[in-house]
Amino acid sequence: MKTELNSMKWHILIIIIVCILIIPVVFAVSNSFKTLADAFSNMFNIIPANPTLENYIHVFEKLPFLQITINTFFIAAIVTGFKIITSLLAAYAFVYFHFRGKNLLYFVLISTMFIPFTVIMIPNYLTISCMGFRDNLWGVILPQLSDALGIFLLRQSMRTIPRSLIEAAYLENVSDFKIIKDIIIPLVKPALISTGIIFFINSWNEYVWPVLVLKSKENYTLSLALQMFISAEGGTEFTIAMAVSVMTMLIPLVLYIIFQKHIINTFTMSGIKG
Amino acid sequence: MKDIIFDHVLKAYGKNVVVKGLNLNICEGERLVLLGPSGCGKSTTLRMIAGLENITDGQLYMDGRIVNDIPSGKRNVSMVFQNYALFPHMTVEDNISYGLKVQKVDPREIEERSKAAISMLDLNGLEKRKPKELSGGQRQRVALARALVKRSDYFLLDEPLSNLDAQLRVHSRKELVKIHEMYHQTFVYVTHDQVEAMTVGHRIALMYDGILQTIDTPSNVYNRPANVYAARFIGAPSTNILEANLNEGKLIMAGQHIVPPEVWIQKMKENGGDMFYFGIRPEHTKITTDYMDNALKGIVRYTEDYGNKVGVYFDINGKELISVCDNNVPATGEKVYFTPDYSKIHLFDYKTENSIGYPEDLSKHNYGVVYELRGRLAGDRS
Repeated sequence: MKTELNSMKWHILIIIIVCILIIPVVFAVSNSFKTLADAFSNMFNIIPANPTLENYIHVFEKLPFLQITINTFFIAAIVTGFKIITSLLAAYAFVYFHFRGKNLLYFVLISTMFIPFTVIMIPNYLTISCMGFRDNLWGVILPQLSDALGIFLLRQSMRTIPRSLIEAAYLENVSDFKIIKDIIIPLVKPALISTGIIFFINSWNEYVWPVLVLKSKENYTLSLALQMFISAEGGTEFTIAMAVSVMTMLIPLVLYIIFQKHIINTFTMSGIKG
Repeated sequence: MKDIIFDHVLKAYGKNVVVKGLNLNICEGERLVLLGPSGCGKSTTLRMIAGLENITDGQLYMDGRIVNDIPSGKRNVSMVFQNYALFPHMTVEDNISYGLKVQKVDPREIEERSKAAISMLDLNGLEKRKPKELSGGQRQRVALARALVKRSDYFLLDEPLSNLDAQLRVHSRKELVKIHEMYHQTFVYVTHDQVEAMTVGHRIALMYDGILQTIDTPSNVYNRPANVYAARFIGAPSTNILEANLNEGKLIMAGQHIVPPEVWIQKMKENGGDMFYFGIRPEHTKITTDYMDNALKGIVRYTEDYGNKVGVYFDINGKELISVCDNNVPATGEKVYFTPDYSKIHLFDYKTENSIGYPEDLSKHNYGVVYELRGRLAGDRS
């Protein structure tokens, strides 16, 4: 009886937390299907009185929305892909190679996680400008090809793999790249997927750096498009902004649903046993 | 010649030297056991053969060539790891054949070799299972099969039985010997278990503190220990070791004395010096509560029952000795007389702790001689 009561308390707490987290999403979805007048009069009604697709149609008419989605996806995919590759290779080197200054290098690398973006924003902007990548998607991508967080997460995950597995492969004359492909990747897959998701969502939601680099609308990312409707430029068209918001979160949500098992696994995994 | 030669090999991690100038010849096709306590450098030695550890100094020869800088994969060695190192995401079949596939061996050959290993190690029906679905014994057999399919010239085993229960360990070590008898690779086996070492090895290399203490056949390591350490390490319960002073034909130990046979006195004189270490295995002693001449006297402190025998710990002027007996077990606190079998005693130089050697014919000098000696002693006294 006591245990049931205890567990109920936790359940109520979890339900409250989930509600707090989900209310803004429900609000956005609901208002994206309302007219502006309806939204102002019944803002907190979950079910729209007169559901309409007007806002979505408006977005597609007013903006090269497909292009913007492709831009965002392109940037997020390339950034995620590169970060995963560089993190995987660096983490492998940090775990399995012995070289002078390894710990110092790792320390320096991890310390970059604590440097605020605002500090490196201007040097990066100047570099990108000099390279001629202003108002270019590659300008957004180039400074983000590696990430200390990814190296840290994958290194932690690789450290749970018994070293003897790698040694067994060395004895079979397996190259390091093949070891990564055949042994490391399958064993750190959950960590790899969740790190990838984190990178993807971070890049997808990125605002400050793209707003600096990208100028023309056809190069915009979804965050910039969203900003058009909630700033002085777009003003009060907040139902349209909600429609853009819903479309912005659609792809990361689908990715999360597909990979949720792996993501949850990563955070509950205690280690790999041989 | 698929032999392995360590020539003054040294291995250090920073300032910590774990293998100190090792000289060791492992002959082609032999089963050599590297034995020693934890941290003695035996696994490091094995890993140097495998190429998994760099050699700090000295030369390692395999098949007649220096292999110090040759990577593991090019040394033609198979290894069974203590934790088996099976790839957890691969099936038994894939684990066994992975190395061959990487080497691009003909698929028919891979299948043939895998099947042979699977049936030899009784893994039929488990081919599609993953390691986590196997018992400890089955995992160990998969690790063996993986090492076997490679058909390499050198077979290295790093405490392969240590994760198995006692019964399975006995069975598996017989299997290992059988496998070696079939393929005759150069077989290097690391263990801290002396029974395993005695039963598996053609020769045992005993290591301690990074130094090779002795290398010999199991029988010699047991019966003719090269030094005090070897005498103490091999055998359970451990060999009794006492400081002994040779004085006018008597050996004074722990404040008492015995008179050893003349051949031993001669041997000690040949060695020179008057201080020695006297060693005798508990199973080569006799204790009795009845008075005995030429015996050490002690008080029983503790007994432990091994089932078939009883170990009797007794105290001689503060020195603890142990004797193993099967009947007439004295009680704790009783006074006992302790006599060694003089054909089985060991004497070591006090400074070097190395054996002073053995008289040529010891067969006559067992307990019987001791009793004959009584007459001589009685004569001496008169």
